[in-house]
Amino acid sequence: MTSHQPPPVLSVEKLIKDYPGVRAVDEVSFSIQASTVHCLVGENGAGKSTLIKMLTGALQPTQGVMKVNGTTYQPSSTKDARRSGIATLFQELQVVDELSVLENLTLGMEQSRFGFIISSDLEQRVTQTLATIEPSIDPSARVSSLSVAQKQIIEIARAASSGANVIIMDEPTAALSEREVERLFTVIRRLREQQVTVIYISHKLDEILSLGDTVTVLRDGKHIVTKPLSEVAGRAELIDMMIGRSVFQSYTVRSAVTDEVVLSANGLSNSLLNNVSFDINKGEIVGFYGLVGAGKTEIARALFGADKVSGSILFKGQPVGNSPKEAIAAGIALVPEERRTQGLFTNLTIRENIPVMNIRRMSDNGVFRSADELTAAVNYVEKLGIATDSIEKHTEKLSGGNQQKVVLAKCLFSDADLLLLDEPTRGVDVGAKTEIYDIIKNLADEGNSVALFSTELEEVLGICDRIFLLYCGSLESVIINGPNLDTTDILNVVTGGDRGGTQ
Amino acid sequence: MSVSIKANKTLFANRRISDQMYITLLVASVATCLFLIASVLVPNFFQLQNMLNLVTNNWAVISLGVGVTFLLVSGNFDLSVGGIVALSGVLSVWFAQSIGGANALSTGLGLPYWLALLGALGGALAIGALNALFVVKFRIPSIIVTLGTMMVARGIAQVITQGSQRNTNLPDEFGVLGSLKVFGTSIQLPVVFMAALLMLAIFIERKMLFGRLTYWIGANPTAARLSGIDNAKHITYLYLFSSAIAGVVGILLSSEFQSGYSNRGMLMEFDALVIALLGGIAIAGGFGSVIGMFFGAIILAVVTSAATGLTLSPDWQFILKALAVFLAIMAQTWALTRRNQ
Repeated sequence: MTSHQPPPVLSVEKLIKDYPGVRAVDEVSFSIQASTVHCLVGENGAGKSTLIKMLTGALQPTQGVMKVNGTTYQPSSTKDARRSGIATLFQELQVVDELSVLENLTLGMEQSRFGFIISSDLEQRVTQTLATIEPSIDPSARVSSLSVAQKQIIEIARAASSGANVIIMDEPTAALSEREVERLFTVIRRLREQQVTVIYISHKLDEILSLGDTVTVLRDGKHIVTKPLSEVAGRAELIDMMIGRSVFQSYTVRSAVTDEVVLSANGLSNSLLNNVSFDINKGEIVGFYGLVGAGKTEIARALFGADKVSGSILFKGQPVGNSPKEAIAAGIALVPEERRTQGLFTNLTIRENIPVMNIRRMSDNGVFRSADELTAAVNYVEKLGIATDSIEKHTEKLSGGNQQKVVLAKCLFSDADLLLLDEPTRGVDVGAKTEIYDIIKNLADEGNSVALFSTELEEVLGICDRIFLLYCGSLESVIINGPNLDTTDILNVVTGGDRGGTQ
Repeated sequence: MSVSIKANKTLFANRRISDQMYITLLVASVATCLFLIASVLVPNFFQLQNMLNLVTNNWAVISLGVGVTFLLVSGNFDLSVGGIVALSGVLSVWFAQSIGGANALSTGLGLPYWLALLGALGGALAIGALNALFVVKFRIPSIIVTLGTMMVARGIAQVITQGSQRNTNLPDEFGVLGSLKVFGTSIQLPVVFMAALLMLAIFIERKMLFGRLTYWIGANPTAARLSGIDNAKHITYLYLFSSAIAGVVGILLSSEFQSGYSNRGMLMEFDALVIALLGGIAIAGGFGSVIGMFFGAIILAVVTSAATGLTLSPDWQFILKALAVFLAIMAQTWALTRRNQ
């Protein structure tokens, strides 16, 4: 029966990608049929991004074969992939705001003679492509006047008119409103009619169920299944395939948790948050869990006063939330999401990084307490197990885990009572992860409070006493951690399952 | 217990010299080498008096370099210092000139001398405040803001002097400050000002919290803000500090020449920038030192005065400065990448 079918437009065979100490993609084999919408799902760390990076030429596989239309395919760059007809719609849009739609569509494809652009049928061709997928966009409009969704469509049209027959879309709806998502889906369906294959990656399972033809599930770098979505029995089966096992839990009920409220947030709202209210108790580790874009970072930054929100934040009875300076003075410290750009002073040494969040303690009538700085540096290097031969090492030369420990040391030195940790273990190896969890637990046992903002369910279930589930900027549900939690339910909530068809 | 002490010792023992110290030593040795080469080539170059002259003749630019260095370390430019030198000099003259001179240029406001100096300093600080306002409040890139205020300051000076000079009808004490000999030696007050300023700046940079804040803000402004530092306030202080130095330099120069001249301090902002860069200060911020800037000034002084000694026409000065800058920057980049491999 297979012999009657044309060769798949794209296939991978026993594909392997190794990183030092970890196999991100483990002997993955599947194929994608032409003119379908092929969805790729899996938890964070399942290997989706690595796989996509290999398909687009950004990464080279360690082993294995990729084929396009039956012939071997070894892209060395994204440009190379484009030549083989595989285009990618990146999350960061690559359109030029100052140019018109038409100029954007022909960008890089202009034909010229002696440096002058000569007219060709190119413009007509791209205008036609745009008209077939989204007739409402005027080709002469300036791109800066378009919405994010429309810009995305310009990129899709550019890919389609450059002859791409496979378009990879990585979380394309992350920044779109409900209505814009519908319009994007219409575009994707039209593309399929035009014999274009779409590889669609999303965490939002409803999107996959309504849009996809076929789904491939990855888990822990391994290929679980590839089958038509018509044979999938709804969200529940998808989630089961994604988790596949009960999530490993090391959580034990902690005795240090009290009923004393240290922070209470009421009605936090801004463009990305929708009326979020919660309390954090003394000695407690609370987790904020949700997908990328669910509002975790926004809440962390709001509590810390880094971004403006409406609503009220009371910390130990006093209002906070106006500036990081005020938050630190009140006893709140933040480990920011981006360690290198927001947390560390990478061209300074470990010693010089640590005292920054407590400058009042470091100043003796304006004179810097250098001796205290040395002691603090040596203490924290030992206490947190920062692997270095000297406190004079520049932090840019440390590994990700050790860099994160330096950021933690900064926050601990501020003597905070409430620590906000935004993705504290991202890009950190397994060993350092466990050490960071131990540090967090010790802190909470000493009577501090910790708020952990994470996209990793395992992490949240491993150490948090209470977990707030977020979806699209709203606090959907609060659960108390314990042995009999149903992870399927949790995933159902954070992928929008509770919303039903109402939104 | 003993284990912990051992670990402590290693953590300290491995304190090799920092990149900062490395670059400063590099700049200092380049300055020394150039001086020795010039001593061999140029007759009468290797003399104590000449060595002193290399520093004292450049007191104005080195003083301006202090403020510029702090701002560069914080990640900001200050191109307005040359203009402020002209403005504060002209203001001090105009305020001190007595009322009722023979023509407009010899008629001033007739203020008491001390008030004239305070007023001139106030004018300088106003330009610094303007810099801070646009950089901090309106978030306009500092290179553009200070390019603008450079012209504003010099423009006001130009209007007050009608494009010429004011040098008549001044009180007798006006010329004292700029040519005062101190400690019964031939050392003049402006040189003492520079020396004191250098000491103060090095102390602030190395020992005070203020210095450390400057490095943090320059190294990563986002992380600094998220660590509770008030970047806006600090950068405002830095601009006021730099403009105050430039104000004093302008007052001292106008006293030395007993005139207010709108073209005074022309291109000094660039010389101050050049010596800072020669001294190893990173244009991206977060790295550099006042001592480095000082040796950068020595390099520039040796190159230009040796060229004059070799009877090279002064027309070649700019080319020489350019060569010195390119060589110094390339040497630093090369040295740092080699070291960090």
